[in-house]
Amino acid sequence: MNLRFELTRFLNLCFVLSSAFMFWKGLSLATNSHSPIVVVLSGSMEPAFQRGDVLFLWNRNQRSRVGDVVIYEVEGKSIPIVHRVMREHHSEKNNKQLLLTKGDNNAGNDIPLYANKNIYLNKQSDIVGTVKGYIPQIGYITIWISENKYAKFAMMGLLGLSSLMSNE
Amino acid sequence: MFSLSQRIQTLSNQALTFACFIFVFVIATSWLQLIQQHAFMTPSSIDNIKTSINLRTSRYYGSMNGKPKENSKILFDLNTDLSPLFNWNTKQVFVYLTGEYEGQLRPQTKSEVTYWDKIITKGDNAKLQLKNVRSKYAVWDLEEVFVGRELTFKLKWNIQPWIGPLIYGEANGNKTITITSGKPANVKNEKKSSA
Repeated sequence: MNLRFELTRFLNLCFVLSSAFMFWKGLSLATNSHSPIVVVLSGSMEPAFQRGDVLFLWNRNQRSRVGDVVIYEVEGKSIPIVHRVMREHHSEKNNKQLLLTKGDNNAGNDIPLYANKNIYLNKQSDIVGTVKGYIPQIGYITIWISENKYAKFAMMGLLGLSSLMSNE
Repeated sequence: MFSLSQRIQTLSNQALTFACFIFVFVIATSWLQLIQQHAFMTPSSIDNIKTSINLRTSRYYGSMNGKPKENSKILFDLNTDLSPLFNWNTKQVFVYLTGEYEGQLRPQTKSEVTYWDKIITKGDNAKLQLKNVRSKYAVWDLEEVFVGRELTFKLKWNIQPWIGPLIYGEANGNKTITITSGKPANVKNEKKSSA
């Protein structure tokens, strides 16, 4: 047991964790969105997006256009929703913009999902970001971990095993 | 010297670098193909637009406090060939027909609304020849009156790739038309003529 060696390893671990955190927050700042990379959780945009697909967001645009795929959050519901803008109304005088959205795979528009009997979304306050890029399926691992109770133990076991291995 | 974890690390590093190169290659070639096939200058024609208005009192059709709201629908012909949008990185094409217009009471309010859309997943189905098709959605405005508004109809598309950026574009050829009440006016005329 070498205390100096152990401390260096602990410091390295801290370094890795903090740099990952800094990367995430930096990306957040650059895109102006509190979650710049999201994993699709529902099938309401199929066949465009399936469960587990990873989306890259951008939120520095002043207005959304019709056809944009946006992520929005409804007051009181914690799950963000990925749907397409089907209508927009904006004023040239100020920054206000009202949006109506719909999932490609849903029959009707999203009015039943909106909070407080609203029939429109507000671009400034409700939109988390606009989808710019797409990678298929690799986010499925996060869904698997959060929905399978044994997956967490498997991950822990793997981490422990790898730390034992690197001891050599 | 060479532990198992080191081997795994090198292997995964190499796999990641290789995957990145493949992604860049796929995205670049599909872009080149789009430009080469003049995908951004696809012609389209929207003809024979007939408008109609219905009054709805449901919140799901834009009505506030039970006040009737004018809901607009259209019938239209559409001719276009979107097969240039299909290449090896095209998962689906989302085509949509929108109308752009200004407010009547507040002319600084600009709006764009979707009347009809379609998802195309195969290049073989990309040639659209539609005759007298009904719009998919009933459209209402923020203001109460929709009749008399001048709408510019455009056909737009969005390519959903297998990997990479979402690509947006607009087909050439648009149509400007004034919304009329359609049905109700006809009914009145018929009543007059029969009387």
